[in-house]
Amino acid sequence: MTDTTMPPPEDRPAWGERFRRVATNGRLTAVLILLPPALILFTLFVILPLGESGWYAFYDWNGYGTPEDFVGLRNFEQMAGHSVFATAVGNTVKIIVVSLLVQMPLALFLALLVYRKTPTNAAFRLIFFVPYIMAEVAAGLIWSFVFDGNYGVTASIATTLGIERFFVLADRDLAFYAVMTVIVWKYFGFHMMIYIAALQGVPEDHIEAARIEGASRPQIVRHVQIPHIRPAIAVSAFFAIIGALQVFDLIIPLTNGGPSNQTQTIVTYLYEFGLTRLRIGFGSAVGVVLFVAAVLVAVFYQRIFMRKGTP
Amino acid sequence: MAEVRLENVTKSFGTLTVIPDLSLTVPDKSFTVLVGPSGCGKSTLLRLIAGLERPSSGRVRIGEEDVTGKEPSKRGISMVFQSYALYPHMSVARNIDFGLRISGTPHEERERRLAEAARILALEDYLDRKPAELSGGQRQRVAIGRSIVRNPKVFLFDEPLSNLDAALRTQMRIELAELHQSIDSTMIYVTHDQVEAMTLADQIVVMNKGRIEQIGSPMDLYDTPASVFVAGFIGSPKMNLLPGRAVGQPQAQTVGIRPEDVRVSEGEGWDATARVVETLGSDTIAHLRLAEVDDLTVRLPGHMRLKEGDRLKVSLDPDRQHRFDAEGRRMATAPA
Ligand SMILES: Nc1ncnc2c1ncn2[C@@H]1O[C@H](COP(=O)(O)OP(=O)(O)OP(=O)(O)O)[C@@H](O)[C@H]1O
Ligand SMILES: [Mg+2]
Repeated sequence: MTDTTMPPPEDRPAWGERFRRVATNGRLTAVLILLPPALILFTLFVILPLGESGWYAFYDWNGYGTPEDFVGLRNFEQMAGHSVFATAVGNTVKIIVVSLLVQMPLALFLALLVYRKTPTNAAFRLIFFVPYIMAEVAAGLIWSFVFDGNYGVTASIATTLGIERFFVLADRDLAFYAVMTVIVWKYFGFHMMIYIAALQGVPEDHIEAARIEGASRPQIVRHVQIPHIRPAIAVSAFFAIIGALQVFDLIIPLTNGGPSNQTQTIVTYLYEFGLTRLRIGFGSAVGVVLFVAAVLVAVFYQRIFMRKGTP
Repeated sequence: MAEVRLENVTKSFGTLTVIPDLSLTVPDKSFTVLVGPSGCGKSTLLRLIAGLERPSSGRVRIGEEDVTGKEPSKRGISMVFQSYALYPHMSVARNIDFGLRISGTPHEERERRLAEAARILALEDYLDRKPAELSGGQRQRVAIGRSIVRNPKVFLFDEPLSNLDAALRTQMRIELAELHQSIDSTMIYVTHDQVEAMTLADQIVVMNKGRIEQIGSPMDLYDTPASVFVAGFIGSPKMNLLPGRAVGQPQAQTVGIRPEDVRVSEGEGWDATARVVETLGSDTIAHLRLAEVDDLTVRLPGHMRLKEGDRLKVSLDPDRQHRFDAEGRRMATAPA
């Protein structure tokens, strides 16, 4: 619209003229009115806290007063040398792996079962989605009852099978598997919903054409449906990884990081060794590491999935 | 060898009956065109033959075989969709030989058939492209290629040319006619387009509300439409359908006369005034108003100059009138 009224480049209008034009066509007004609130809020609640914790990370500070005891990189060194931190990082990696290799395929499988619009499917979708709607703490509590060796479902199983009672969440080897089971249960519905939305966008005649060609159900999934929903799978993988980096509030009611720190994640580690022990500087250092990890994931995601535009 | 027979087929979706009771024989190697107004069940009929829908009752036979309960892939058919249904992530070659790969056809055989289809459809230079990098006509050819490599006994087409522009449509129409001559299979073709129906078909099936109004060769339908519906549906511009009373034939409910069968003269006949004149170059289509008739469409030679408001005399060619009774059925030949 403005292009047609633009004079040729050699006599470009002066700045004042250009400013007036922008101002009078309403765009400047829109920018001036709409941008500041978002910018101010973003700065206040995102940029400033981030910057602050980046600063605290170099101090030994308990959260009261102003940080004064500058310690350089000592917080990071301590973290790197701490075996529990290594466990926490290892656990977070395990959660990522399970999310990508167990949770997403499960979600896709269920999505393929219920994506078509029928009343029964709608009911199943709702049921599958319930864990995701539930508050994390509530879900954690429910599962801690399930796993309770004295009164829970596992107790009934033990009694029925006539075996010795077992305490999953107190078992150093089993506890984290239990935690991962709960994580898969809690979040698969979210990924399933992403896939359902995407699958509903696959043109029906593509599937019918494949049927005519003699493709079996698995072949249709593999050659027609999955290629079609690849962008949705990429998005869901991104959320799975970012979510895995942040697992916290499910673990607290389940195991609180125990037994003997076997089920810590990066965030529970931050909470346990930074906040509850009033070592805000140290906690901030963990936070900085976590933030960098998240940014790396985002950058890789951009690189891998966004670069080659999907058809 | 591959005659298609529908025997008392019905199809309902829930409480909606789309096809009440339909029997149809499509002769082997024929080019049969299904036409009818939107929503009359043409696509549904095609999908019943393809096996994408199961009939609520009745049988479907292809060749000697009863395929009513068979999977689409086991019927020896192929189908070209209106949207082409090409897989966007696969190259043209992969789109064409997808079915052969799926069925584990040996490499050489697959290559041979792919090359053959590409040659017939002049797609050799595009085999490595993705569908998004093709023009509409090329996509259409890929969709047809996908059908050809399967060597089907019956080709099904659901409005395959409706997404193309007029020039391309004409070209593809000719290519389809050639294809039919060269590969000698039964073809069943759904279209909205009069010209496609008239030019491609050996046999036209006119459908209305899930029922067959008339089956016949294009000229049969044109010259002796069995009902008012067919009379009005086949031919462009439409046949004039006039009340019998208004044209002095009270024994007929409706009298039909094609625009080219109206005589225009200076001398005797009814008085008429030109309301609208469409000059097409080769023809001039005039919409006239008569004393008893609001709109009479007349096709005149292109050299006849006529303008709005001109007065003229018209009469109806007595040998070319179609007379229909109160039920809309064709009546016996016109009296002298
Ligand atoms: N899966 C379905 N469920 C319910 N109703 C359907 C279904 N498929 C078709 N119909 C109905 O059946 C009727 C016939 O549809 P069909 O697609 O066969 O018409 P058509 O003759 O091909 O029309 P068009 O020329 O517009 O393509 C329509 O009223 C349509 O709404
Ligand atoms: Mg249709």
